Amino acid sequence: MKVPVSWLSEYVDLTGLTVKDLSDKLTFSGVEVEGIEQVGFDRAEKYVVAEVRSCAPHPNADRLRLCQVFDGTTELQIVCGAPNVAAGQKVCLAQLGATMPDGSKLKKAKIRGVESFGMLCAADELGLSDSHEGLLLLDPTLPAGRPLTDVLPRPDTVFDLEITWNRSDCLSMIGIAREFAALLERPVKLPDVAFPENGAPVAQLATVRVEDPALCPRYTARVLTGVQDGPAPAWMQRRLEQCGVRPISLIVDVTNYVMLECGQPLHAFDYHRVTDHTIVVRRARAGERLATLDNVARVLDDQMLVIADPQAAVAVAGVMGGAGSEIAPGSTDAVLLESATFTAPSVKRTATLLNLKTESARRFERSVDPGLAEWASRRATALLVQLGGATVAQGVIDVDHRHAAPRQVALRFRRGREVIGVPLDDARMIQILTSLGLQLAEQHAEQALFTIPSWRVDLEIEADLIEEIARMHGLAAIPDQAPQSVAVAGADDAGVRAVALCRHTLLSLGFTEAMNYSFLSATELDTFDPRPTSRRLTLPNPVSADYAILRDSLLSQLSGALGRNAARQVEMVTLFEIGRVFWRNETDTPCEEERVAIGLCGPVGRTPLDRRRAVTNEEAALWLKGAVEALATRLRAGAITLRPVDHPAMEPGWATEILLQDEPIGLLGLLRSSWRHQYRINAPVAVAELKLLPLLANVGRVTPAQNVPPFPAVRRDLALVAPRTLPHGEIVATIKKSGVSDLTNVSLFDNFETKGLVQGTRNLGFTLEFRSPSRTLTDDEVNLSLQKILQTLKQTLPVEIREG
Amino acid sequence: MTLAELDAHQQQSLAELQAAIEATAIEQVRVRYLGRNGLLPALMKQLKDVPVADRPEFGRRANAWRAALEAALTERQAAAAPRETVAPFDATLPGRWPTLGAMHPVSRIIEDVCRVFARLGFTVADGPDIETRFNNFTALNTPAHHPSLDATDTFWLGDDQLLRTQTSPVQIRVMTSRPPPVRIVTPGRCYRRDTTDATHSANFHQIEGLYVDTKPVSLADLKATLACFARETMGPSVGVRFRPHFFPFTEPSVEVDFSCHVCNGSGCRVCKQSGWIEIAGAGMVDPRVYRLVGYDADSVYGYAFGMGVERIAMIKYGITDIRLLYENDVRFLGQFA
Repeated sequence: MKVPVSWLSEYVDLTGLTVKDLSDKLTFSGVEVEGIEQVGFDRAEKYVVAEVRSCAPHPNADRLRLCQVFDGTTELQIVCGAPNVAAGQKVCLAQLGATMPDGSKLKKAKIRGVESFGMLCAADELGLSDSHEGLLLLDPTLPAGRPLTDVLPRPDTVFDLEITWNRSDCLSMIGIAREFAALLERPVKLPDVAFPENGAPVAQLATVRVEDPALCPRYTARVLTGVQDGPAPAWMQRRLEQCGVRPISLIVDVTNYVMLECGQPLHAFDYHRVTDHTIVVRRARAGERLATLDNVARVLDDQMLVIADPQAAVAVAGVMGGAGSEIAPGSTDAVLLESATFTAPSVKRTATLLNLKTESARRFERSVDPGLAEWASRRATALLVQLGGATVAQGVIDVDHRHAAPRQVALRFRRGREVIGVPLDDARMIQILTSLGLQLAEQHAEQALFTIPSWRVDLEIEADLIEEIARMHGLAAIPDQAPQSVAVAGADDAGVRAVALCRHTLLSLGFTEAMNYSFLSATELDTFDPRPTSRRLTLPNPVSADYAILRDSLLSQLSGALGRNAARQVEMVTLFEIGRVFWRNETDTPCEEERVAIGLCGPVGRTPLDRRRAVTNEEAALWLKGAVEALATRLRAGAITLRPVDHPAMEPGWATEILLQDEPIGLLGLLRSSWRHQYRINAPVAVAELKLLPLLANVGRVTPAQNVPPFPAVRRDLALVAPRTLPHGEIVATIKKSGVSDLTNVSLFDNFETKGLVQGTRNLGFTLEFRSPSRTLTDDEVNLSLQKILQTLKQTLPVEIREG
Repeated sequence: MTLAELDAHQQQSLAELQAAIEATAIEQVRVRYLGRNGLLPALMKQLKDVPVADRPEFGRRANAWRAALEAALTERQAAAAPRETVAPFDATLPGRWPTLGAMHPVSRIIEDVCRVFARLGFTVADGPDIETRFNNFTALNTPAHHPSLDATDTFWLGDDQLLRTQTSPVQIRVMTSRPPPVRIVTPGRCYRRDTTDATHSANFHQIEGLYVDTKPVSLADLKATLACFARETMGPSVGVRFRPHFFPFTEPSVEVDFSCHVCNGSGCRVCKQSGWIEIAGAGMVDPRVYRLVGYDADSVYGYAFGMGVERIAMIKYGITDIRLLYENDVRFLGQFA
């Protein structure tokens, strides 16, 4: 909200305070100063009123004019580029030697070969506005030579304030003045609202019927006749403009002026165009139509409140007037002046649904003091009498359904001190509250009861009073002290720590943490996984189609991140993301689940001198499998196995389901080549996604430590040729099932396919480790076991043992 | 031979060895004293001629001599041996190290902040992204006509369900499930219907804190806690100040500024010449919230605070565009390894 200091100082004495003082006082009492603007003419020397005596084309330029200008003493030749310059005008002249906005002095100039002895100014060149649309034209009756300081508005400071949602009373000059009055301990000065009532009794001129007092607790109406509508006086227009409101004509301007002054929105109806001079405050009929002042036909619903006459709605209550009863400049001499209270939730709903964010709605939707309606009506009437010669009907129609008693709130002094943490004495707290207009109703040893002024609709409970004390006393008074540490029994954040362990494990495995938005486009999801998914959670009101769906998997975005990085020539990309996915379950309830996605592309695990060799599918998939296994080991999750599945996002034959203790918890595979090609990636891209909850289930579990084996191990190597289709796991399982004792480990040390071998086979080398817990094994014992294993392999699998 | 003569031979042998430079000369010394026909084996054969009383001492000294001579020989031989040419270490070759994973700056800030508050006794609490109207708004004393409930601001999934706009609903979940004292911080992802630009993102992260106790807790305690947090995360000279503000769920409410860690409060580009940077919102928990979660509003005291994680990351690391945090460009993220 814009607040000109010159206007504000009509209601409270601000002498002795600088702009910075004022700004700091507001900021540190709860009204944030978002901007400070200096507007006005502040250059005294060499700026005068001048008369354009003649105006001829410039001999050498089409757009310039050659003017003879009288500055009160001499006639000067001046070249002017303004399109609106004409003989006979009174204009603003900067004489030679005048200080320009950039600090330089104006000098005689030769413009396209013609000398110019000064400059005619536009509004922006005078510091009055941003307008450079042409010369600022002055009142033609002003004498040439008069200093512009006598004519143009003096400099003024305009604050741009951010008013918090609870302080509707501060959306006005008087509201801000009250804050200063309390801060400075100076009185608030309110304007005189007295006027003669020379017209007929108002009851003979108009009728008001409020059909829905719940939405309109108070409605006042006055009737004014004989109003001479025309431009409002310059001072009023200037104030409106300073506040960003466009002046229209006296009647409309007065309603806006009073709204800015005290916070009560007013509406002036053309008295002649209100059928039967009867106002009905009622709910709209469903589908009822009303053309509003902005010339848009609005369709209303039956919860919206309208102001109507017996025939039709004439305004959307508290939001915007109708075009039908609009007061165009000079169109009427009789006014029905509405000053009413509409309840906040109703106005809020209507303004939101109609998308009408008017100044009136902005105030009503934060609650307007019902006690204000009659005062504001009187104030506007007094101005229309004074400035427009209006005749006022006797009395006022005041349909008042307020609950009469003013609110009272108790303050426990000790609680106040305890909450603020500053040793304030009782008297200081009382003094602050009374300076804000609260009345001390009762005072006891430990507490006091205050009557809340009607404009402070936000003060409802003791905590509200404590806040007033804190902010007016000043938060800078809060002492610095050492922070306390308080241990809370039973507090547990094991779940959060488990997630952190998962993150740190993946970091230590060399994966970089990614973070994607929770929403994405249907296209992005479909491109990745084209299967129909009716269970996706679609946002009813997305920011854009790119963010329309909540992700049901982390994989499409993580894959995209891998692809984009690879496309940016990053040699090796290893990423993971821990995040939540969303879907609708069978009963359409929105669900969510935490997952971890891991992906890699490039020569992972290679030494720096071995990164040129192409990465094979198997290599990429096994590194990712290894990362998942390492993660499961660190998290004590249990054994991980992979089972082939089909997945549309994956390369055929390279998609697997991740099983944890035989329960499916995720997906691991290589992205299909057609997907890779959109990023021009030739190397395999491996990705996996796992549910986090089962993975983290055992994180806190403690297993007793085992002693190290006391006896040495004996190792034997075993090389065999096996069909490419025979899984490694099956061979290991067969070895382990051959029934030998003391076989403690089987590990693969070699895996290669060579030209010398039969097509479709591979050479596998295993190290077998034998160890007894009770003694040192002999060579003979181990050789016997090895023979048994070899025999079992030959008998049960199509393998050929390689002697060596 | 007497003991004195033995000692003399010993010194003589060591002196000869010392004088020998060439490998052949050293070998001659070895043969002369330790060879099959050398002096030392010969002496040992004469041991039986030594008087019985002197024999142990004689033997001991002879063995000491042999040990000293052998040690000296090894040393001399090594010194005289031609040097083997071992290829030297080119220490300027690049070292080999496994890839370092980089933690996302948002996670990093969350972990840093939680660690500071953990030292003050705050535990981390967590809640779902999909929340109820009650937890996200009603219980936080936000009236139904408050603009934050508008469909232009909040992602509603139904009449009662929404994507949380703040992590405050976790406070409600904790308070409705546990009596005071409560001392938690709640990091998490939040959603607001903001159009994405350099400083806005429709999803972002928040960390909130809540302390509720049955003994008095004041704005001064809140300030002390946040001042400690400011020093620990932004630097030891960073201070805090409060400005009054309004939030539906705290009363009094304040906005919290940190003095600028870049210019120490003297004014710079980062703090827009003000010397202060707005970091958090905070306040004393509104008694209406206590009533809504079933606490006895008259017997409990407490404060709450909240801040945007991305904003802190941007301020702390000098990140100029929030979108960088969601682009996952490893050339950006790698800086946080």
